Amino acid sequence: MKLFKNIGIIALATTILFGSAAAVKPTAVLAAEKKLSGKVVVAGSSALLPLTQQAAKEFKKKYPKVSIPASAAGSITGPQSVEKGAADIGACDWNATQDVPGFKAFAGQVAHPVAVIPFATIVHKDVKVDNLTKDQLVKIFTGKITNWKEVGGADAKIVVINRSFGSGTRVNYEMKALGGESIKKSDDKNTYKEVGKSGEMLTNVANTPNSIGYIDLVYVNDTVKAIKYEGVEPTVENVKNGKYPIWGVGYYLTKGEPKGATKAFIEYVQSKEFQQGSVKKMKFIPISEMKDQIEKLNKDTK
Amino acid sequence: MTSIKETHLIQERPPVTRHSRRSTWLKINDRLFKYTTWISASLLMITLAAIILFIAKTGFLVFGDVSVVDFFFSAEWAPDEEKYGSAIFIFGTLALTLLTLLIATPISVGIAVFMAEIAPERLKRALNSLLNLLVGIPSIVYGYLGLTVLLPFLRKVTGQPLADGLLASAIVLAIMVLPTITTISSDAISFVPREYREAAYGLGATRLQTIIYIILPAARNGIISAIILGMARALGETMAVVMVIGNVAQWPNGLFTPTAVLTSNIVMQILNVQYDSTWNYALYMMAFILLIISLFLIILIRLMRPKGV
Repeated sequence: MKLFKNIGIIALATTILFGSAAAVKPTAVLAAEKKLSGKVVVAGSSALLPLTQQAAKEFKKKYPKVSIPASAAGSITGPQSVEKGAADIGACDWNATQDVPGFKAFAGQVAHPVAVIPFATIVHKDVKVDNLTKDQLVKIFTGKITNWKEVGGADAKIVVINRSFGSGTRVNYEMKALGGESIKKSDDKNTYKEVGKSGEMLTNVANTPNSIGYIDLVYVNDTVKAIKYEGVEPTVENVKNGKYPIWGVGYYLTKGEPKGATKAFIEYVQSKEFQQGSVKKMKFIPISEMKDQIEKLNKDTK
Repeated sequence: MTSIKETHLIQERPPVTRHSRRSTWLKINDRLFKYTTWISASLLMITLAAIILFIAKTGFLVFGDVSVVDFFFSAEWAPDEEKYGSAIFIFGTLALTLLTLLIATPISVGIAVFMAEIAPERLKRALNSLLNLLVGIPSIVYGYLGLTVLLPFLRKVTGQPLADGLLASAIVLAIMVLPTITTISSDAISFVPREYREAAYGLGATRLQTIIYIILPAARNGIISAIILGMARALGETMAVVMVIGNVAQWPNGLFTPTAVLTSNIVMQILNVQYDSTWNYALYMMAFILLIISLFLIILIRLMRPKGV
């Protein structure tokens, strides 16, 4: 009798365990508005992560049954996870359905633009330099200028913090700020380091004296200093009026057309309410306000 | 009245006549238990074999595109140019492990000797609890502390622009393997028979002489096992290392040059690569190398096991 009871308990526990494991697979359930439920897994860009997390918070208030786990490991992991089926939405700092320098297009995915991302060059708080020209930046990031005194700062070696391969922030920065040059390290091996995500970039530049890096505006806080590019401050206004050129378009990628909770979430992120609300508050720019520039950009790159 | 004989009978065979249902019951119960434990053990072995096979199978695919010599001895790691030389990482892993042990072993054995020989009972127990606590701290916490506390400290002390590299990683790893080596060494030392100590004191040896010339050599096998276990842990440590090593595939020209090891490189790149690419196979091969080194070390420990322990 006791054996039967034990077997019964074990069988029940195993069923529950495997049953819940089977339910973990990401599915979007088609349902009426209020009854919208399911899971939307978002992976990819760390630059877009704060946006996704804020949208998830707000979306959950409207549809409490939908859970949106968001993670970030670099833009390339977004479309990659979608392709593998490990994520419903891949956040990427470029349009992954097209070729970009260094990355091939992903077939069978649909790109949904969600926000314009401004990027800034950041330096350690104690660095005295406030402004760098494009030429100076290129030389710093390709290892030709190695000391801050060559650009008007103190006599100290410049420490370059770079993002690793797969970063959308890096792709955009190389294209827009460095005019297509790839970042290379200098001959001094001790002054170059790579990190994997935006958050790590921030921590490293904040903690390393004489360091320089790049990150999207939403992360910039008073632990680092954002410097001007060609005399232009990295602000949302300067991006909108075209004076500050270092920006990219963030996309959500899905395998084919999205359905159910995934579709509802993307629609929410693209909705006027979110774009004019949180997107603006977090120093991103609504897609609608940059339509002309985006079209011009697409025409130029084709 | 043969109570002994009766109990003997009862133990040999469950009574058949009155409790026939119960006897078959017991037999089934027994068999079931035997099969369950067999299945558990086999599941474990199958899982382990499957993991090794999968990593090996994917890893060896890399030799379809890269020659063996190139993979192991070339120092050019540039996947975007189809160059997959892992010499830097293999060297990095070995150098880092060696450096970690160089730092950790004297301190650990010292603490072990102190705990086993010199410390009063209460201090010994306090130290033991402290060591257990250190083991419980997640490695990412060590890494984060290394990044935000150790690196700025090293920068101030040495004047280096970026103190990332082998030394910083070795210091962090040494703190992580210290509890492992210490507790096992301390056990080995306390297993040395009391007679040895008393004989030494009887011959007029001082405490230091007893420890150095009698006890440590006697506990040698156990201490070496401890060191090898520490080495195995340091070998596979990823998160703590990746935050302080700099992650640049270049030869370190000193202890403060950002470099990379097998574990840190795998974790930085594995999510970014497509499964069916040479890059991915190369990373799997690196994982396989790590596995081989670990297996080798474990076999070494088994060979060095002191008799009777």
